[in-house]
Amino acid sequence: MMKKYIIFTVKAFQRTLTYRFELWMELFINVLFMLVYVYLWKALYTGRTSVEGYNLNGILTYIVVSQTLLTFTFTLRIARIIEEKVRTGEVVTDLMKPIDFQLMTFATAAGTSSHTALFNMLPKFLLFYGTFGLSLPPSLLTLSLFIVSVVLGYVILFSIEFIIGIFAFWFVEIRGLYAFVIWGLAMLFSGYFLPLEFYPAFLAKVAVVLPFRAIIYFPTAIYTGQLMGESLITALLIQLVWVVTLVGLGRLAYRAAFRKLVIQGG
Amino acid sequence: MPIITVEHLSKHFKVHKRRTGFWGNLSSTVSRKHDIIKAVNDVNFSLDRGELVGYIGANGAGKSTTIKMLTGILVPTSGHIDVMGLTPYRHRKENTRRIGVVFGQRTQLWWDLPVIDSFELLKHIYEIPQNLYKQNLEFFSELLQLQPFLSTPVRRLSLGQRMRCDLTAALLHNPEILYLDEPTIGLDVVAKEQVRQFLRQVNAERQVTVILTTHDLNDVEKVCQRLIIIDNGKIIYDGGIDALKKRYGKTRMLIVDLAQAYPDIQLEGVDLTRRDGNRIWLAFDRDTISASEVIVQLTARYEIQDLTISEPEIEEIVRRIYELGVH
Repeated sequence: MMKKYIIFTVKAFQRTLTYRFELWMELFINVLFMLVYVYLWKALYTGRTSVEGYNLNGILTYIVVSQTLLTFTFTLRIARIIEEKVRTGEVVTDLMKPIDFQLMTFATAAGTSSHTALFNMLPKFLLFYGTFGLSLPPSLLTLSLFIVSVVLGYVILFSIEFIIGIFAFWFVEIRGLYAFVIWGLAMLFSGYFLPLEFYPAFLAKVAVVLPFRAIIYFPTAIYTGQLMGESLITALLIQLVWVVTLVGLGRLAYRAAFRKLVIQGG
Repeated sequence: MPIITVEHLSKHFKVHKRRTGFWGNLSSTVSRKHDIIKAVNDVNFSLDRGELVGYIGANGAGKSTTIKMLTGILVPTSGHIDVMGLTPYRHRKENTRRIGVVFGQRTQLWWDLPVIDSFELLKHIYEIPQNLYKQNLEFFSELLQLQPFLSTPVRRLSLGQRMRCDLTAALLHNPEILYLDEPTIGLDVVAKEQVRQFLRQVNAERQVTVILTTHDLNDVEKVCQRLIIIDNGKIIYDGGIDALKKRYGKTRMLIVDLAQAYPDIQLEGVDLTRRDGNRIWLAFDRDTISASEVIVQLTARYEIQDLTISEPEIEEIVRRIYELGVH
């Protein structure tokens, strides 16, 4: 039953291999951006030992981990892929197969992202880890929980993008919504730019009620040891609640969209 | 026991009327008026297992809407559809497992991957047993000569090669029904002929029921035993292809470029159906008058620059069915 979805992951992974040049260029640009951030933080920390509980090594680790995780948000583009499928009518071909559209979309995304993780995120991270002497998670258990948290964050981002993509069934054009939610809200509240501890109180309060901090801030703060013990467990639980909620909302949206498609014609 | 039964099938679409101009736009957002379009209007037919049917009509006649309802991605406004004992839109997944669909205008193959990878993907999607998959793949690659480009990425295939792969993709899981929406569109003469021959063979050897929508009357003539013509959402002809041709297909059209615009054209046994400047369209029945007799008459009375003879087009036959009635 799951086997047919795993094959989507495998094929999507293979497909990504066909665009090697693009991937090298992306990695190159990513590395330059990260270098700029690292030097910016080094400069900001001259004469200071600790800000909001982060020493220099802590903040550099945070920045490198969060910048590495950020690659997902830039490369996923699930909403745009669904929009394209709706616009060209290709979605009809998907619906004429004995498969679940949401699972298939996720399996395909996972294939593309596994490639990104392996050939972009991992080498990028190791390069910075080696060059700037960053820290590892406090324990092997923390490392495993960090990975769990990364996966949960990924599913949350996927589900948000999926819901936005489904809006294309109604509005066809969703670029504005996409830019607002993903490049606006998600970026601002995900904590990729700064640890959320650095945010002004009112923004930090807003971040708490939104799902976006669960995408980057939670896993990164678990990695750096900022979230430990009870607060770590709470973070994972919050992620789980968002996963269930957003996956469920995605299914509802998809069902409604399908009904709309079948009633209005494609 | 028919494999497909369609009774009083209708599909109506609401089309919003947009008023133009600033105030028009504004009032459109407040109160929207709409027209009802009857894309499919009280359609009835049934198909037996193993039939090969041409479903034809002009653009917007309701062909694709019918196909979409049969495949389960569109819910009828009213009426009843039974496909292999299932109601397609209620049992979408179960229905899709047992049908194959090919759209001439789009592909279900993965653009950036070798053809064989898409086939493997389909093997898993439809849970095709390995030996059946192998057997089918061999059968189709031989029949359609796919071997030379099985490992070529789809984006590098010619349209004809891609269509052959798409046909294979739709048949790997041994569907009982094959729906084809304009499968020969854009293909050259050789590729068209290849597709037609393939459809005949698949239908005869594998007992696949085939429904083919097309614009190309040649497709129908060479492939189908039965023809359903739809126009404005209604079926205007359902019957054998020979009967139709006997009645309407004898008409030939002679398109003539005259040296000057003669005000009055008088010819025996010929209908002047259209004229545009110096060009005239003459319809004649080849049983009562031969083309050469028409040309002899013409050259005797008028000065001619150029002429061509054309076979009747679907649109022409549809028009004549309206004029003369069916039966």
